[in-house]
Amino acid sequence: MNVFLRELNAYRKSTVIWCASLSAILLIFMSLYPAFTNDVTAAKQVLEQFPETLRTALNISLSSFFTIYGFYGYLLSFAILAGSIQAMNIGTGIISKEVSGKTADFLLSKPMTRAQVVSAKLAAALTIIVITNVVFAGVSYLVALMVATEKFAAGTLFLLASTMFLVQLIFLALGALFAVLIPKIKSVIAVSMPTVFTLYIIGTLGDVLGNDKVRYLSPFKFFDTTYIIKNVSLEGKFLAIEAAIVVVAVAASYIIYIKKDVRASA
Amino acid sequence: MNVIETTKLTKYYGKSRGIVDVDMTVTEGEIYGFIGPNGAGKSTTIRTLLGLIHPTSGSATIFGKDVTTSGPAIREEVGYLPSEVFYYDDMRVIDLLRYSASFYKKDRKAIEQRIKHLAELFDLDLKKKIDDLSYGNKKKVGIIQGLAHEPKLIILDEPTGGLDPLIQQQFFHLLKEENEKGATILFSSHILSEVQKLCDRVAIIKDGSIIKVEQIKTLLENSTKRFKLELVNMPDASAFAIEGVSDLALVNHSVSFLYRGRINEITKMLAGQDLIDFLVEEPDLEEIFMHYYQKEDVQ
Repeated sequence: MNVFLRELNAYRKSTVIWCASLSAILLIFMSLYPAFTNDVTAAKQVLEQFPETLRTALNISLSSFFTIYGFYGYLLSFAILAGSIQAMNIGTGIISKEVSGKTADFLLSKPMTRAQVVSAKLAAALTIIVITNVVFAGVSYLVALMVATEKFAAGTLFLLASTMFLVQLIFLALGALFAVLIPKIKSVIAVSMPTVFTLYIIGTLGDVLGNDKVRYLSPFKFFDTTYIIKNVSLEGKFLAIEAAIVVVAVAASYIIYIKKDVRASA
Repeated sequence: MNVIETTKLTKYYGKSRGIVDVDMTVTEGEIYGFIGPNGAGKSTTIRTLLGLIHPTSGSATIFGKDVTTSGPAIREEVGYLPSEVFYYDDMRVIDLLRYSASFYKKDRKAIEQRIKHLAELFDLDLKKKIDDLSYGNKKKVGIIQGLAHEPKLIILDEPTGGLDPLIQQQFFHLLKEENEKGATILFSSHILSEVQKLCDRVAIIKDGSIIKVEQIKTLLENSTKRFKLELVNMPDASAFAIEGVSDLALVNHSVSFLYRGRINEITKMLAGQDLIDFLVEEPDLEEIFMHYYQKEDVQ
């Protein structure tokens, strides 16, 4: 419990900043929704002039863009990108900082098993991600209430919002795995940004090339907003892939961390 | 009762040697010195005992429990101070020490009182942020976090670096007090005089293997000193041909040699010399290994 609380406290400021930033993105972007829906025809004509590949790359679907779900889903793809960086930063940082900060000697010479240390840290990381998502989903709902020009189902909106949590879980688990695999991580950002952006670009390229199989390679494409809006559910096979990735990455993180030698910090 | 017992404890980092077949026995209530040059394997042995690194082969027990399977139970009764101390820079000293205390099952109030007592003893400001502390003060934090829960076994890995002589003296005094109360101490160092001051018995480690375990009394009797002299006249080598002198070097008006034996004998010889200056210092460990443990090393 002490490690868990210590980590929550250590990440308090950054969690507040991430929550505020994601909320600000929501507010600013969603406030544009009424402007787009005031004259759908004109806005549609402008967007139609964009090359289709560009629209695909930007994740703009003309059939749903002018609905509250579609507009929110478009924004969500960028929020998920940002949220993924947050999750990977935490997943990588919360484990690796004891080595990079040379505090591993202090922590691991205390009467705790390494599994307990990892559990406490991952629990804290998960709590931070949950807090971020609760705030994000709550602000999403409130902003949607403010700007929506038509009635909408809160359940669908929350289901869309939940995809950020699901993608973040993957990056949290990958971050933890990278933290135990890479011997000395000097900069968390140097690990998280290339990973997140590489997977994001892979997903976007798959869309542009029209290759549906690429969806399996990029977590950003696991949960398709069009599918969610249409079916009010998530795709089961991708939920299973997500669960497999998270379980394997977390289990591997435990095993490697438990077996790892902590070399002298000097 | 043996508090620490290792049997053929071996650690390789890939292909590079850490320690090889280390057999060590530290009995209850003993202050056991562990001495050797940098890279000899002192820290590797200690880190293996603490479960920070995993042995390649061999075994080690503390309080009769295997270090690889009973780490948390062992560490409940162990206080550890590493050679380099690093803590969470964003924390205040008192928060760090409370965080450290929170890992132990012992009475929190008693630990809190002891933290305050030790902070007063070492003149450490508990309200300061770790980031604002000098290295010496961080080391004091290390001492307090290692001793606050009154461990039965205190493991110190080259603990005196960064401590000024006065604090070192207080620290040694504190260690002797803890030892009198029943704590066993494993004290690693590469400074012979520190070990001589504090320890009952000493193990000398070189190239990953323990080459000698000696009572400190015996070590003191065999104490070696390096003498450096500046003479008015050109030195005469025959004057230094007395028993116990080795590694003699005469360069112009300077003379350097190692001496093992009764100090009175050497001072008698020095009285006959026309000295400008002279210096007596401890030889470094390499010299001790070369000149005093040559036989054991060869064996």
